[in-house]
Amino acid sequence: MGAFTGIRAMWAIAWTDVRLLLRDRAAAFFTFVFPIIFAIFFGLVFGGDAKKGKIEIAVVQIDQGSLASEFVASLRKMDGFNFTPVASEADGERIVREGKASACIIIPDGFDRGLENIFATGKGPEVPVLVDPSKAGETGLLQGRLMEQSFAMMAKSITQPDRMKKQLQQARDTIAKSKDVDLSRKLMFGTLFQNIETFVNDANKPGEDGKAVIGGDALSGFSPMQFEVKDIRKQRTGPTNAYEVSLPQGIVWGLMGCVTAFVSTLARDRQRGTLVRLRSAPVTRWQIVGGKAIAGFVSCMLVQWLLIGIFAAFFGVRVPNPPMLMVATVFSACAFVGVMMFLAVIGRSGEGSAGFGRSVILIMALIGGGTLPVFFMPAFMKPVSMASPFKWSVDAIEGATWRGYDSQQMFLPLAVLAGVAIGGFVLGSMMFRRAMRE
Amino acid sequence: MLRLTNLRKSYGNIVAVDGLSLEVRRGEVFGLLGPNGAGKSTTIGMSVGLITPDSGTVEIEGAGAPTTDSVRKHIGIAPQALAIYDDLSGKENLSLFGRLYGLGGRELKDRVHRGLDLVGLLPRSRDRAGGYSGGMKRRLNLAAALIHEPPLLLLDEPTAGVDPQSRNNILDTVRDLAKAGKTIIYTTHYMEEAQKLCDRVGIIDKGKLLCVGTVDELVRAYGGKSAVRIERGGKHERVETDAPVREISRVLAHAEAGEPVTGVHIDQPNLESVFLGLTGRSLRD
Repeated sequence: MGAFTGIRAMWAIAWTDVRLLLRDRAAAFFTFVFPIIFAIFFGLVFGGDAKKGKIEIAVVQIDQGSLASEFVASLRKMDGFNFTPVASEADGERIVREGKASACIIIPDGFDRGLENIFATGKGPEVPVLVDPSKAGETGLLQGRLMEQSFAMMAKSITQPDRMKKQLQQARDTIAKSKDVDLSRKLMFGTLFQNIETFVNDANKPGEDGKAVIGGDALSGFSPMQFEVKDIRKQRTGPTNAYEVSLPQGIVWGLMGCVTAFVSTLARDRQRGTLVRLRSAPVTRWQIVGGKAIAGFVSCMLVQWLLIGIFAAFFGVRVPNPPMLMVATVFSACAFVGVMMFLAVIGRSGEGSAGFGRSVILIMALIGGGTLPVFFMPAFMKPVSMASPFKWSVDAIEGATWRGYDSQQMFLPLAVLAGVAIGGFVLGSMMFRRAMRE
Repeated sequence: MLRLTNLRKSYGNIVAVDGLSLEVRRGEVFGLLGPNGAGKSTTIGMSVGLITPDSGTVEIEGAGAPTTDSVRKHIGIAPQALAIYDDLSGKENLSLFGRLYGLGGRELKDRVHRGLDLVGLLPRSRDRAGGYSGGMKRRLNLAAALIHEPPLLLLDEPTAGVDPQSRNNILDTVRDLAKAGKTIIYTTHYMEEAQKLCDRVGIIDKGKLLCVGTVDELVRAYGGKSAVRIERGGKHERVETDAPVREISRVLAHAEAGEPVTGVHIDQPNLESVFLGLTGRSLRD
């Protein structure tokens, strides 16, 4: 039998197994639907859903002047953002680093003075904005809204003649005191500021339609505040969203569903005559084992990415490093294929294997963080959880999501998963081959 | 076509097949007859390379031992345990098994269609096999053995637990296959089937092949005499004889003198009596 025919036969076995899984309603439910329900339920339990959809922004108000307070108050009225006051710049930076806020706006000392001197200095106060670079979309939106808000304040100044007069007076005083400006220029600026004051007074008188005449694009190209964006490299010390915790748990249940389903499928094959049919065909035992393994792998990948896709799209779970997450899911899938191969043949009979496999996989899921995340477990349970491949799978997936592991930190969970995959597959396929030989 | 030489297989202390030697000729329907647990399925398993014998050899004529892929292509098996997927349709089942034998495309479609038609399942081809009756499943099991059109067919109890309609369909199919020149090994514990279908029969018990021959040869050699059963005055008499008709005539001639005869039956020797004669037990014990 040629290699191509062998591969085709292997794919036929794999496709059949995947199809059988999808057609078994109970197995498909526990593999694909239950984990989603489980992860949503635990996401709600862990974190609630009150602030869903709002972008978290920290605000540090150092200048306690009236303009600064007015600006902060105007920020709080902005839709789509949740502004949280923070005591200091350091606290604001920490919050962004921890991922609890997408950005931190710092209203610096001298904010009011900067705005008041805007005509004298030619530019508004500098407002530092510390942002999480991984949230470019959210911070871009914030910058646009901040600019909009600063212009709104500027427009408000113009429509308040008293405030405008005060600003113009300060500008006159500054220029008058300046030694660098000669007398002719001082006279010219004095005339200019007088004309502006007259314009502001006239502009705020109602027109024929009863509205003030200020508006339009008169201020185009001018920026009343200077927003200085500073990237803060996030330290992923914790999840920012309860679903980031419940997602790996859901994945555990999905993988458990896959393993259980395929252990049952293999067990049914052994119990019924279908394995005899496969064995009597001109395909090698490795091709049969390979076909079963491919089916298990495809299903494990399918369930993992189905959950990741749903939770990233609808529940705000971040996928900051998709290639790393892909590696984590591939290693997890391989490990559980190994577990599946081993459990499917450990019993003498097909039914015995299925029953034993289900029990073992349930225990492994429970101690490995299937219901209670490992970091919530009591201290004595944590070493126990290391015996479960689920623990390492959760660790790898969390590492690639909210824990933000680098490749060095990912090494251990991936190495353990690889070990489980190789050990389970080699041992399982040897036992499978032996079982097939009778 | 198939030569088994001194095959032996044991599971722990239980000897399933004990020194079995047998030669099945090309184009014949060979019946392997024996009670449950006699070693028929183990013999079939070793014949197709599914079970490794402890000792002895299996050889397919012109091909070799059935342990290699190329030799397995020559064999089709319908195992006693139904070897079909309940969650796949009849068509999907046959397509899968066809692919395992390297079939694809138009050829596979045609073979699947022909196979389903042969066993009368074409109208239900898109239904899941789980919804089939026991007999229909057996027929699909047979069709799966034929998908790659092998010259050698091993049918292990193909009519076990089926309805009369399906049994007839299976028996007709086997006859058609025999006419088409296939070599068929047919295991059963139904002696009527073996008598109707098989050119030669081997009787197996406790892992040993007790005898091989045509049905007539076996009956003559091991079936014993015919028996005439006479009912008279509420009593039954049984007389073994080589000439049953003459015995009946004699009984009837003397009947007028005594009590009237109410019934006369002739029990011809058959494979059941062959088995009884060889083992002292009934096939269905």
